[in-house]
Amino acid sequence: MWIQRLLRHLLTLLLTALLGGLLGATLMRLAPGFGVDERELDTRLNEQSLQVLRQSRANERNILRFYAQYLRGIIHGDLGVSPSLGRPVAELFSERAPVTLRSVALGLLEGWLLGFALALPGVMWRGWAYDLLTSVVGGIVVCLPSAVLAMLFLYVGGPGSLPIALVVFPRIFRYSRNLLLQTYSLPHVLTAKAKGLHSTRILLWHVLPSAAPPLLALVGVSVSMAFGAAIPIEVICDSPGIGKLAWQAALGRDLPLLVNITIFVTLLTLTANSFSDLIGKAFAKQPT
Amino acid sequence: MRRIWSPLLLVALLAVSASTTAAQSGRELRFYLPAEPKTFHPLVVADDSSETIRYLTGGVLIRFNRQTQELQPELAASWKVSEAGRKISFKLREGILFSDGMPFSAEDVAFTMRALMDPNLHSPTGDSFRSAEGQVKVNVTDPHSVVILFPAPVAGLERLFDQVAILSSRSPKKEMAVLGPFYVADYKAGSYVLLRQNPNYWKRDSTGQRLPYLDSIRLDIQQNRDMELLHFRRGEIHLINSLDAESFDRLAGEMPSAAHDAGPSLDSEQMWFNQVSSAPLPTYKKAWFRSQNFRRAISEAINREDICRVVFARHARPAVGPVSPANRFWFNQALHVHPFDPQKALRRLGQEGFHLDGKVLRDREGHSVEFSLITNAGNKSRERMATMIQQDLAQIGIRLNVVTLDFPSLIERISRTFDYETCLLGLVNVDLDPSAQMSVWLSSASSHQWNPNQKSPETPWEAELDLLMRAQASTTDNKKRKEYFDKVQQIVWDQVPFIYLIHKNALSAVSPSLANATPGVLRPQTYWNVEKIYFAPEKSGGRR
Repeated sequence: MWIQRLLRHLLTLLLTALLGGLLGATLMRLAPGFGVDERELDTRLNEQSLQVLRQSRANERNILRFYAQYLRGIIHGDLGVSPSLGRPVAELFSERAPVTLRSVALGLLEGWLLGFALALPGVMWRGWAYDLLTSVVGGIVVCLPSAVLAMLFLYVGGPGSLPIALVVFPRIFRYSRNLLLQTYSLPHVLTAKAKGLHSTRILLWHVLPSAAPPLLALVGVSVSMAFGAAIPIEVICDSPGIGKLAWQAALGRDLPLLVNITIFVTLLTLTANSFSDLIGKAFAKQPT
Repeated sequence: MRRIWSPLLLVALLAVSASTTAAQSGRELRFYLPAEPKTFHPLVVADDSSETIRYLTGGVLIRFNRQTQELQPELAASWKVSEAGRKISFKLREGILFSDGMPFSAEDVAFTMRALMDPNLHSPTGDSFRSAEGQVKVNVTDPHSVVILFPAPVAGLERLFDQVAILSSRSPKKEMAVLGPFYVADYKAGSYVLLRQNPNYWKRDSTGQRLPYLDSIRLDIQQNRDMELLHFRRGEIHLINSLDAESFDRLAGEMPSAAHDAGPSLDSEQMWFNQVSSAPLPTYKKAWFRSQNFRRAISEAINREDICRVVFARHARPAVGPVSPANRFWFNQALHVHPFDPQKALRRLGQEGFHLDGKVLRDREGHSVEFSLITNAGNKSRERMATMIQQDLAQIGIRLNVVTLDFPSLIERISRTFDYETCLLGLVNVDLDPSAQMSVWLSSASSHQWNPNQKSPETPWEAELDLLMRAQASTTDNKKRKEYFDKVQQIVWDQVPFIYLIHKNALSAVSPSLANATPGVLRPQTYWNVEKIYFAPEKSGGRR
């Protein structure tokens, strides 16, 4: 039963990722300027070289044929070659993915810690001044686009994960604050309070287990949020990660690279969502 | 007495000399690459960052001196061009080693030339040598002599060798074994390239010390120009090869000794009308764009001085034609900038049946004169230029719509679909010789932007351009070539297929801590003499 559910999840995940890749490829194929190379303006190249340059991406014009070839390549462990960077995509991924994964993981951790740390005292010891202050800070940060946060950190200096943390934190703060407030007003928590249980015990034994499933669902959302933020942040901070690679792929109309990045990000986001979903369900079954 | 002082003086002189030498040696030069180098293979270089690596690491037979604009021998001790520019014979220097210790010989030159001229390589550098169909023959006459025979004369042949970095035919390191002052020691994709001093570099200074003086060069990849300036001001990098006018003035205000304006560069900014007969444009618009008087009137209605003053803060010069005054030999001194004169422009337009209807200019058939101008998005100065042109043309009743596009979309429109009316772009000139512009002026070429790929010249003046360009390319007599190319410039000035607007000044920044860095107008502006650049000894109490 459990294995069946896991397999169903994996299959859905794989099909969605492949469909995402195909959609990404189709969008890129339809984008203006597809198949054009900046080198075409190089006045040193002769006509023969220009023709070769123009023909070099002819196999990408039929999107279905390209995708079929791409899938065949994947089966043989070949992710293709990036035409704009002139290097195998697998090589580019192995260089860039660790940079992004590290900054996204750190950013998520920092964002969650900050969001939760600000939400918890406000719920446990309610005070209007603290509520106002944290809400204003969270509100201001949520209004700032990730690109602006990146610019700010670029000028001030600081770790690359911090802008990602600041993108994630206000959402975590608001959601967890509201969720904890709701959980604190549940009957069994009120009963525990009436019995005079210690606030830490109430939090650990009664509030957190009840709030865990929706909070874990938020983990999945925050992963995709962090990846989305990583693209402009890496571009502005010149951080050599997947986000910057995605930007370069879009500007260079680099079909093989963009398809791989789309599938990679889709897989990652779906995995995070599925993981939080499964864990959330497991939690929900436990009696609180 | 003299006997006592002489050895002491000698010791003192030696000590001073040693301390100067020690001061000149060492330390790491840092500057930024605008993008990741696409290749380290010197023969297929096509982008700026790879070009930088090639310049810093590649050893060439002949170097074009960026300051004197003269050719100077490098790996070739001497050379001779014969058979009207078909043949070049090199006598090579002896005792030179590659960075990995392999000896350099004529076989390496032959290997490099054969690889470069391989038709399947499609190298921009190789294509520059290809003046006609046929095989290039390379003949090694002895270990230090090589003769290269081309199928047809190549104009400005010696100058092209400035771009050819010699590869080792035997080194296991292949293209990573180099003959230039530095070699690639480390590379982290998307992050940096580290170059270290080539221990086998052959050049020495006047005191006999081996060049280069610098230990290493770290090239971080940084696309953000504002960050580049910020890091320069903080002293984290030592050079900025190219600055925009706004950043230059800011830097000049803060660090006057670091900001360098070397005068007009070779690069030009120009706009042109789409004259392609198959373009998806209304017939009446095609007729406008094909009218010489119309193009000339637009040129005269644009205030170039204002563009230089407002957009480039006076760090630019109005352009006369395709050749910048920085190109001392090839610039046609007889030509002058089309004067800004809106009234004269209206009179010219009147000759073609255009007339003002209130504040709107209309053609003979009553169509209001309105067209769009495309340019690449994200280039601030180009967007500002477009706005100024829009205002200038509004004065003679023309409505100009400015459209910014990302680069691939723009290239698609100007080279494939021809779905545009006017385009504003810049031309980056890396070569002084007119032969480098062959594909721009030949009517059959695809870089003949206003009407490319013509089967036969569609206008008499384009036919004349074809003849003149072929004539200048078929002789090695520079005086004759100059005459031909002066005529080309004259025709372009008269017919205005391109409306040349300005030549930007070569603006750069060099840290005051560097000695021997003398920025020029030719690329690479700041480090063209990198082997002689060093960190000046710190003065006590002075600023570093």
